[in-house]
Order: sequence, then structure tokens, then C-alpha cells
Amino acid sequence: MNLTLPRFFWNEFRKRRKKAALITFALFWGTLSILLLLAFGQGMSTQFRVSFSGLGETLIMITGGQASLTFEGLPKGRPIRLYREDIAYLRERIPEALRIVPESYNNWQVSAGGKEVNRSVHGTTAEFALMRTQVPQMGGRFINADDNALGRKIAFIGWNVAKDLFGTEDPVGKEIVINRVPFTVIGVLMKKLQDSMYQGPDADQIYLPFSSFSMIDSQREIDRIHIQPRGPEQSKLVAERVRVLLGRKYRFDAADRYALGVWNTIEDSKEGLAIFKGIEIFLGIIGGLTLLIGAVGVTNLMYAVVKERTKEIGIKLAIGARRRIIIQQFILETMFIFAKGTFWGFIAAFNIVHLIRLIPVNYESFGIEAYLLRPIFSLRIFVAYVIILGVLVFLSGIFPALRASRSNPIESLRYE
Amino acid sequence: MIELEGIKKVFRMGSQSLEALKGVSLKIERGEFISIMGPSGSGKSTLMNIIGCLDTPTEGEYVLDSDRVAGLSFDQLAAVRNRKIGFVFQNFNLLPYATAWENVELPLLFDGKNARKRKERVTELLKAIGLYDWREHRPSELSGGQQQRIALARALANDPPILLADEPTGNLDSRSGEEIMDILTELWKEGRTIVMVTHNDRISAHSQRIVRLFDGLVLP
Ligand SMILES: Nc1ncnc2c1ncn2[C@@H]1O[C@H](COP(=O)(O)OP(=O)(O)OP(=O)(O)O)[C@@H](O)[C@H]1O
Ligand SMILES: [Mg+2]
Repeated sequence: MNLTLPRFFWNEFRKRRKKAALITFALFWGTLSILLLLAFGQGMSTQFRVSFSGLGETLIMITGGQASLTFEGLPKGRPIRLYREDIAYLRERIPEALRIVPESYNNWQVSAGGKEVNRSVHGTTAEFALMRTQVPQMGGRFINADDNALGRKIAFIGWNVAKDLFGTEDPVGKEIVINRVPFTVIGVLMKKLQDSMYQGPDADQIYLPFSSFSMIDSQREIDRIHIQPRGPEQSKLVAERVRVLLGRKYRFDAADRYALGVWNTIEDSKEGLAIFKGIEIFLGIIGGLTLLIGAVGVTNLMYAVVKERTKEIGIKLAIGARRRIIIQQFILETMFIFAKGTFWGFIAAFNIVHLIRLIPVNYESFGIEAYLLRPIFSLRIFVAYVIILGVLVFLSGIFPALRASRSNPIESLRYE
Repeated sequence: MIELEGIKKVFRMGSQSLEALKGVSLKIERGEFISIMGPSGSGKSTLMNIIGCLDTPTEGEYVLDSDRVAGLSFDQLAAVRNRKIGFVFQNFNLLPYATAWENVELPLLFDGKNARKRKERVTELLKAIGLYDWREHRPSELSGGQQQRIALARALANDPPILLADEPTGNLDSRSGEEIMDILTELWKEGRTIVMVTHNDRISAHSQRIVRLFDGLVLP
């Protein structure tokens, strides 16, 4: 290729930049919005995965039981109970567990503003929120580590409890009396889907800091231990380790299926997985449709611009441009506009995503922002986008350009 | 030398077809200055476009300097348009976003001339038509007469032996028209073959010979 031609192409392109600006901007905007849409979608889906599925997605719940096998001379039929110390005991010995949290509960009279109900009241710790999807409604929070350390008299209540005791009023900051001890409401559970439960739906529960619960409850044992393995693939192993460790401590056979209640949600989370697949497919469809709309728009613009240049191509042909020059110029120009638009779209989306990720999210309170503020930038999606849109843009321009370069100069010249 | 033999041109528009040229035979010798005249729609432009290798005849034989034009490839035709034939249009057909200088430079660029040669030639041409000072202006900033002079300079860029002008003064006032005619006459005197379409008897008076077209045929 003649070396002066690229310079000529570049000069011409710069002169026409304003006309190309619309396409460049459309490409920029399309890239930006589709990347953001998918980044937020993916981030949300991931955050949902962490928190959603009713009880908690990767969760093993241990309750006490009754030995059904004789063990080292001990008879069967002995009750097996869990105690506070078991938490530290298990934490030390099961590194595959990310979190281990105690829970105790009791049914008490709960009253506020002259109304009284009987409800299940639980004592637990801050991490419980992460494992059991305790997301507070706007303006409230879940129990945190300080509440536990200081034994604060606070309560986090289900939305049904709030409705029963306070009607339409906002319960946050108000007092409720549990088992004759006053507590301050600090948060109301955000409504959520829950298809598996033990003491009834979370909507009907009341949660207190574990330390505060112990002060009003006389029992020494704890009712439930929640364990979150580091990964779903470790759940079987973790459950087995719990059986062996507690079996050693309380002297029962690790193979005894009745000595402990072990509820492994991963085992029956097939339904949850289907929901997430559903979300992802939905996002994929939305993304695909957006891409389609964008592609139609850009294709249209591209086609119009090349059409508009038909006359100009005619002029060039008339003064002796060879076909190759016309096509080369078109390809270079299209590539340049495309690269420019998508590059800036990419830069903008990448930075927006990472700036948003810098905003601190309080995982302990687990508010709505935890879903919105953790978009995930996917290079794979970007590459797929570039390939698909690139091909479409190229095709939308190359055909009119080829046709114009192939026709009589006079036909192109007559085009208005 | 330009030799046309039994040239026909049929335009098809859907189911309709229109025979714009019905068998034109014409011989133009090297160095001639010819005017083509005829009523509107008689096929003057169609004929000029075929002579200028911008369009191809439906039937008939066109021999240009002993080459059968029908046998030339797309790019060979481009080379003919680039070096052998300069074409001036009634509506100038300048590139709107390019400056006067760039418009004149373009045929040189397509011919692969180097930067020094291009610069020399464009300077020479722009000075000859008296628009050197306007070289940085775009067509929209120039008058019709100025634009047509730029178009003329562009047509002459590669010093073609043949210059075709389809109503070069059609869009111009009479003074600008006269200026263009003076240049064309000058070019003819330098030895170029000039073929020009016009409606105007005063303009055609500059030429040696007048060919009259009527309804797609040459009047005897
Ligand atoms: N590309 C085309 N498609 C269809 N019909 C065409 C085309 N070009 C020209 N014609 C028709 O062919 C006939 C001859 O047209 P042409 O432009 O050669 O006439 P002309 O003598 O140059 O007229 P004018 O003096 O108005 O410029 C006209 O009827 C015109 O409508
Ligand atoms: Mg005409």
C-alpha cells in the first residue's frame, strides 16, 4: 500500500469526525450500558447467591439428638445436647468452616404498646445475618459484634412481629418487652422468600444478641449450631468432621445418624440452584436483547453513513480511485470508529464498576447496598460483546461500501 | 482518438426501460474541440459519461486510443479516468469536507505521485486558475465559478490529453462562464482534445465542431 494513503485516510477521517461522532458515541454508550447492566446483574446475582435462598445457601445446621447405637459400653437412648463451648471447640478443629455460630431459642410472651403475643425468641451473633439471610429493612440493622460483647438489650424482629405489635408504625427505636425484660428494636427483617425453616418462618421470629438472650434464659445448652463451610464442595467433609468431633466429646458413634441432627442445606439446594440458573438466564436474555437493540441502532447508523457517502465514493471513482482504495479506507475507518467507541465504553464501564466497588459496604448490617454496590466486571462478557458487535458493525458497513465500489461511478454519483 | 460505433444505452427502472442512446456513432480526433448540443433528455450526459468511462454502453463499441474500453477491467478504467480523461461536471462534484488544495491533490494521490510532485503540481494548477490564495477553503466557502475552476484544476491534475465537460457553465453566471470558457480554449490551444456539452450557442461558438443529439441519435 502506498504510504501516503493512510495519511490521506486519516486526514479525511479527521475532517469527517463530527459526522462519525454520533456512531462513536452510540458505540461508547452501548458498550457502557451493556457492560454496566451485566456487571450489576452479575454482582447482584452473586450477592444474592451469598445471601438469598431462604435459610442460607451453604449451611449446615446441627441440633442435639439421641444416641441410637451403643458406644464404648454406653447404652443407647442417651440424649446428646450441645453447649456454648462447642462453638469454640469446633472452630478450632474445623478449618474448612468459614463461620460457626450458636443459636438458642425459647417461646415467650412479647408485648409492646399494650399488645401481647407469644413468639419464638432467639439468641445469636452477628454472623448469623450472613448465614441466614437476615437482611434488615431500610433504617434498621441486624445485631452486631458490639451488641454481643456488651450484652445490649436490643432486638431484631421479623416483619410479622412488627405488624402484630406495631401495626403500620416503624418499630425501630421502640421498646418491646420480652419475658418481662425491656428491649429496644433496632431492625426489622426485610421481606424475603423462605421455603425451608425450623421454628417457623423468620418473619415470625425475634433475634437478640446471644449474651442478652442468655441473661433472660435459664437453659445452659444451646439449641442449634450453624456452620458455613468455606465452599459447597466442603460441606460433606465438614458435616462428617462435626459428627466425629462431637462424637468424641460426647461419646457417641460418628456413624450414629440419630445422635445429632445434621441438616445440610447444600444437599437439598437443588431448587436454589435452579433459581440462580434462572436469574442468570434472565440476565443473559436481557443482555442479549440490549445487545440486539444496540446492534440494530449502530448497524442503522453505519448503514446510513455509508449510504450518505455513496456520492463521495462516486466522486473518488470518477477521478480515478481504484476499488481497493475505497474498500481499504472504509475498513480502516470502521475499525477505528468501532475501536474508539468500544474502548472508551470499556474504560468508562471498568472505572465505574471499580469506583462503585470502592464504596464501603457494611456486611454486618447487610443492607440493600450490599447487593447494588458490588458489580462484577467481566472481561469475558466484554470480549464476547466486542466480537458480536464488531461483526455486525463490519457487515452493516461493508456491504453498502462494496456495492458502491463495484457500481458504475455514475450510479454512485447520481445517489442523493 | 475517440471512436464510438453504434452505441446504445438502455436504462432499466423496474419493469420499464428507457433507451437514452439509440445507436450513436462518433469519431473525435486528437486535438479537436467539440460541442455536443441538443434538447434536454436527448442523451448528451449519457453519451459524455460513456466517453468518460464513468458508465458502460448497453451495446456498441467504444475504442479509446486503440483500446476496446469494454475489455478493460474496473481498475484499468479507473486508471483511464485518472490519467487519460479529465471530467468536469455541471454541479462540480467536489468533496465537501476537503479543501480546494486537497480536492486538486486527490487524483495525484490516486496515481501514487510522491509528496513533492503533488505539491508542485497543485501549486502550479491553483496559480494557473488564480485560486492559490483560496487553497485552504472548502467548496462551500467558494463561489460557483471558483468551485468550477477548482473542479477544472482537479480534472487537469494528471495532465490528461482529453477533457470532458458536461455543461461546465450551466450553473454559473455569464462572467464566470466566460472565464471557464477562456481556460478551456487555452487548454485546447495547448493541444488537448476537448468535448463539451452545452445548451448555449455563445458557448458552443468557442468550439470547432458541433455535434447535435436528438432523442438518442446524432443528427447528420
Ligand atoms: N441513470 C438513469 N436511470 C434512468 N434513466 C436515466 C438515467 N440517466 C439518464 N436517464 C434518462 O435518459 C435520458 C437521457 O438523459 P441525459 O441525462 O443523457 O439527457 P441530457 O441530454 O443530458 O439532458 P439535460 O440537458 O437535461 O442534461 C433522459 O430521459 C433521462 O431521464
Ligand atoms: Mg445532461
